[in-house]
Amino acid sequence: MSRRAALPGIAVVVPALFATVAVLVFAVRELSGTTPLSNGPMRNVAEAAGAGQSSEVLRLLRDGDDPRRFWPVRPEIISSYVTRPTGLEAAIWGGRNIVELLDQRGFIADDGTRVHLTCLAKDAGKTEVVEYLTASGAPSCETGAAFASVKDRSLQR
Amino acid sequence: MDSSGAESDPAGGATRWTWLAYGYGALVVCALGYGLLGMPVQLSDSLNNIVEASQGSLSHLLVSNFWARGYLRPFLWGLIRVVFDLSNGHYFEWFRGWHVAQVAVLVALFVALLRVRRATDAAAVPLGLAALIGIHTFWGTVREAFPINTFMTILLCCYGAAWLALGPPRWWRDVAAALLVIFAALTVESGLLVGVVFVAAWLAGARGLSRAGVAGQVALVAGYFVLRFMVLDIGSPGLTERSSGFGFGMIDRAELAARFGANPLPFYVYNVGTSLLSLLMSEPRGGIFVTTQRVLTGDWRLLNLVSVGASLLGTCLIAAFVWQRRGEWRARRFTRDDQLVAIFLAVAAANAVICYAYTKDVILSPAGAFYALALAVAARHFLARTSPTMMGTAVASVVMLLLSTGWAFRAVAAQIDLRHAAGVVRGEWVYVDRWLEEQDVVPATDADRAIVAQLHDDAVFRHPMRPPLVGHWLKWFEE
Repeated sequence: MSRRAALPGIAVVVPALFATVAVLVFAVRELSGTTPLSNGPMRNVAEAAGAGQSSEVLRLLRDGDDPRRFWPVRPEIISSYVTRPTGLEAAIWGGRNIVELLDQRGFIADDGTRVHLTCLAKDAGKTEVVEYLTASGAPSCETGAAFASVKDRSLQR
Repeated sequence: MDSSGAESDPAGGATRWTWLAYGYGALVVCALGYGLLGMPVQLSDSLNNIVEASQGSLSHLLVSNFWARGYLRPFLWGLIRVVFDLSNGHYFEWFRGWHVAQVAVLVALFVALLRVRRATDAAAVPLGLAALIGIHTFWGTVREAFPINTFMTILLCCYGAAWLALGPPRWWRDVAAALLVIFAALTVESGLLVGVVFVAAWLAGARGLSRAGVAGQVALVAGYFVLRFMVLDIGSPGLTERSSGFGFGMIDRAELAARFGANPLPFYVYNVGTSLLSLLMSEPRGGIFVTTQRVLTGDWRLLNLVSVGASLLGTCLIAAFVWQRRGEWRARRFTRDDQLVAIFLAVAAANAVICYAYTKDVILSPAGAFYALALAVAARHFLARTSPTMMGTAVASVVMLLLSTGWAFRAVAAQIDLRHAAGVVRGEWVYVDRWLEEQDVVPATDADRAIVAQLHDDAVFRHPMRPPLVGHWLKWFEE
């Protein structure tokens, strides 16, 4: 390349080269166990459910996670007020499909759990989830009480 | 360099710049391949195809699809069946690996077609590859698979055709060209563009194929039309087969019939025109002026603007190349670079015409792939003609910087889109039973059920989801 073309030549190479190298560095870091620019892998079924990652929910269920128990959830997944929900509670924020997935697998077995989840979905403003859970009748809920219980539990940690 | 500023054809052997270009191409394949391997075999568009392709023998599959109503794509099915048999149950590895291998061959052909010999040639390669991956017409060739992406297969056939046509004359190139056009045309309709590549290259002075070889191409394409329209009576897509983009939105089939049923010609002209515009300006997309509408409503996205800007700048560079070379073209003196740009122009026109009934980004992918080649050619030509003055160098540097930044941004957006699509596909596999019910599809045999179970487990358990990216910066890359 002539000297006069060197500067435009560098100008045309650098941005595209940088983009490729950036993607490769990202890939190498991810393969070595750290995913930059993300929250990293979901640590339990509640995190996966809260993040709405249905395939991860299914995988973690197969690995033995129980969505009925309490799980630590990082504040960036749902909110800083919801850091110790059950997997079922977290699923409210993950959306209707996740709730349905867990319901179909028999994890919403008793009426008490269903009522609690319905009230929590109402508090969280998740209309689609409320519609799904109240298909056979809507319970009466004390506004804010279900969410307050989840919040209190998180703050007690 | 000749007096007009065009680089003379470097016919010599490979240099260190050649190997550097191939090395860079390998890095690009690794980067894109990583994204492709994060994507499971798809549920919609793939599962049914795999199950269908697995039935009976290969010959039965080919024959039955040769006589099928509606489409003439026997080799599409044949290829799925061959890879299915080779996989021996390792569907993810083979089908996803096939996709990566296709990208590797495509990138290798891209570098080979550019014939990199000097530093200016090598300098244009990163830009060209960023354009190849970043152009919107390419996204559909990597984001989807059926489970083999047919459009990617046609890109390989088109680049392969250009490689055959631009090489030294050999008898076997005629034979290979004939086989290639038959395979491509009977894989998907846009495969006919392979014939356009051969004819355009020949008209631009490329003599890799003999006169008889090119005549054979014309005869084969004519034979395809006779077979399709007169023997098999398959016809072409009708006006109202699907809803279509028009103006600022979609119009459904009923409205299409009402507005254009009596005289569809204006609609066809609109589709051809907007397809060309889309290729050259990234606007409109699928017949819809998305970016224009968003700018008018103040709801614009950065990626939309960058896409249009990069395409406009790139198109101007290509146009400048054609303008500067017009004298040589009129005198029918073509360099290899001229031939590549001439092929692009011919494929762009023919590809737009193919979109007459229905326009969609991925249908334009062959023209998009040649756009990337033409851009790389125009860029190295531009570098070679850079004015020696300080002002000239500064202007050239800014132009190159803007161009490369824009296309690199689009290439990164394609990678992010691929990762997002992988998450969506995995989500679909979670609800496969519901999907099968909605599609009214019931796996009939144990073998069919085993395929569904294997693909589900591949997508969810064996190759789990990579963590989604988070951050406000993602908005920059959203369409």
